[in-house]
Order: sequence, then structure tokens, then C-alpha cells
Amino acid sequence: MFLASLAALATEVAESDPTDINPVVPDEIGEIFWGAIAFFGLWILMRYVLLPPLLKIRADRRNQEISDLQAASAADEAAEQVRRDYDVTLAEANSEANDIIAEARAAAEHERGEIVVAADSEIASERQAAMAELDSQRSSAVSELGDDVADLAVAAASKVMDASLDEPIHRSTAANYVEDAR
Amino acid sequence: MFAALSNPAILLASEEGGGGVEFPPINLIVKWPAAFGEGTFYGFNKIALISMIAMIVPVILFLIAGRKASVVPRGIQNVMEVSVDFIEKQVVLPAIGKDGMRYLPMLMSMFFFIWIGNLFEIIPTSHMPANARMANPIMLAMVAWVMFIGVGVKHHGLKYFKDALFPPGVPKALYLLVTPIEFLSTFLIRPFSLAVRLFANMLAGHILLVTFSVLTITLFGAGILAIAGVLSFGMLVAFTAFEFMVAFLQAFIFSLLTAVYIGGALHPAH
Repeated sequence: MFLASLAALATEVAESDPTDINPVVPDEIGEIFWGAIAFFGLWILMRYVLLPPLLKIRADRRNQEISDLQAASAADEAAEQVRRDYDVTLAEANSEANDIIAEARAAAEHERGEIVVAADSEIASERQAAMAELDSQRSSAVSELGDDVADLAVAAASKVMDASLDEPIHRSTAANYVEDAR
Repeated sequence: MFAALSNPAILLASEEGGGGVEFPPINLIVKWPAAFGEGTFYGFNKIALISMIAMIVPVILFLIAGRKASVVPRGIQNVMEVSVDFIEKQVVLPAIGKDGMRYLPMLMSMFFFIWIGNLFEIIPTSHMPANARMANPIMLAMVAWVMFIGVGVKHHGLKYFKDALFPPGVPKALYLLVTPIEFLSTFLIRPFSLAVRLFANMLAGHILLVTFSVLTITLFGAGILAIAGVLSFGMLVAFTAFEFMVAFLQAFIFSLLTAVYIGGALHPAH
């Protein structure tokens, strides 16, 4: 039955107009021949000539990316280490600077104290000298003033009493007065 | 060159005096005379020329790309590397896996050969996709068929056929039903469907473009109906763009399905 159908179909195809083609059936063997040559040629070239350079350069790029990433990672780690070292150095420098400042401050404070003490001492001695000088000058002035006052008092009394007074006696009286008044 | 390999331009359909649309017979839009070797196995016609160009173009592109390949890709190297990445990431790895990289050259060749052959559908002066003829699709489908069966036998021996025809886990009584279905679907229908899918899509697109071309020419010579010709011409342009996409899509689908079949033969458990 099936074979009979096929035979009938074959007869029908054989008797049909050769210009009526069935597009599903490849009727030009040359198209398959040249198509196969082209495709297998392309396949062979692709396998051995065309793809390898691109695959190699892609692999090289991938390796370079990996090595660059590793280098970048190492550089990043080194930079981090440098930053940590810098922080440590900075902290040490800050600590040292603080120590130096504290020492300098203490030394300055000490020196200031010494200077102040020396100045106070000098001022005290100068003041003492000045006071002694002042006392001496005052004593001298008072002594001179006592003599002058006694002379003036005697002279004044003489004028008032219109008589000569015993100068030595009255001078000693005036001197005693001045001494009491001091 | 294409004109020399083409039939006489008989697509002008309007008869003198305005006699309506006369569509050319199918053999006149898909069958081409040979430049030499007519009737022999090496008969070289328009389809053969397109096939050769579909081989030469990727060869030239890849040679230029690989000649001064640098770690930092530029120009054509960049484009070709993108194409390699595309086939690798969209076809090979999802369908086969890492051990499918050995099939990359074949799948790349398949993709470019089909794609460029299809593109001639919309290239002026050619307007004929190589795969609108059954020759290349059936040849490529046979390659895919031999490849996936070969891969299966190479990796699993004759157990490949046993696993393919008698899937494990199926009740034995059902093998009466399952085995013939598996035999037909895996070993007969697969290559046939691969070939017909590609061929039918490209032939349909080709006929569509011819139809709108004939319609546009006819309407532009039909007086007041020339207004409708503008619409027909717009459709022709739109379908040309659509066929540009179909050309790529069919090449991708064919390559992907081939990879899926190879992956299935390589890893039957998946």
C-alpha cells in the first residue's frame, strides 16, 4: 500500500512539468555541493586559522586583567600599610611634640620662677638700700631741719620778747621740741 | 554578478493597459540558472555564489581582526570579539556548558554562514537568501545531526542510543509508545525540523518581499491606485527591516538548537 503510494507519487513527479518545482526538495545538487564546500571550508578555517588569534588575545587579556588586579590589590595593600605606618609615625610625632612642649613649658615655668625669685630678691635688696638711703637722708634732713627750726624759733622768740635769750639754753629746748615732734 | 546569475526581470506584473497583478511563478523567484556546470554536481548558480560569499566575508573579517590583535581591542577586532562572546555566552555555555567550547568553531561557522546567507535577502541586486533554497539548510541540518549523534556515541558509546530510545524511569510497558516517539523526534524530526524551520522562514520572507515589491510596482503604474502604492511601499520597507531581524534570529536559533542537541547528547541526564 505504502510502496504503491510512493510509486504513484514518483510517476506523478516524473510526469509533471519540469518547471513546477517543489521548493522543499533540494533539486540542485550543485547548491549542496558548493554550500558544503563553503561551510566546511569556513569551519576548518575558523577552527585552525580564524578563531585562535582572537581566543589567544582574549586569554592574554584575561591573564593580564588577573595580574593587574593582583598588582592593584598588592598596591592597595601596600598603600594601606603606608597609611598605617604614617598614622603610627604621626601619632609618635604628636606624642613627641607633646612631650617636647610639656618639657619646654616646664623648663620655661622653672626659669620664669627663678627669674621672678631673682627679680624679687633684687627688688627687695634695692628697696632695702633705698629705704636705708631714705632713712639716712631723712635723718640728715631732720637734723638739719631741727637746727634750722631752733635758730628760727630762737630768732622768732627774740623778736617777740625783744630781748636776747640765752641761745644755748633755748637751742637745746628747741631741739628737744623738734625731737619730740618727730 | 548577481544580475548575471539571475533570471530575466519579469517581476513587472501589470499588463499593458492595466490588467491587474500577475505574480511570478515560484520557480522564477527561487530557482536560478547556473553560470557553469548546469546539470552537474558542481553547477554554480546564484545560491552557490551567495554560499561562497557567506564563507569569504567572515574569513576576511576574522583575518583583519586577528592580524593585529591587541590586548586593547579596537575597530573590527572589537566587533569580532563581541561576536565570539555572543556565541560563547548565548549559545555554547547555556546549551552545552564549559566543555562545549570545543564546538565553538563549528557553531561560529554555522552562525555566520547562515546569517550572511540570509542577509542577501535584503541586499540590493541580490534579494535572495541562500537559505530560501533547501540545499544549505538540509546540509547544515545533516551536519548538526551527525554532530550530536557522533558526540553521543563518542562519550557514551552505544548506551547513548539505549538512553535516547529507552529513557530511564519510564514504565516498561510505555516503551511501546515512547520508543517510537523518541526515535522519530530525536533521530528523524530534529534534523528535518531544523532544516525546514530555517528554509521556510527565509522562503516565506522572500515571498513576502517579492509580493510587496510586485504590488508596489503594479500600484504605482495603476493611476489613482498609486496612493495605495505608497502604503504598499511602506509595508515593503517595514518587512525589509523585519527580515533583517529574521535573518539574524534564524541564524541564532539554528546555532542554538544545534548546541542544545549536542549538549543533550553530551549530558543526557540534563
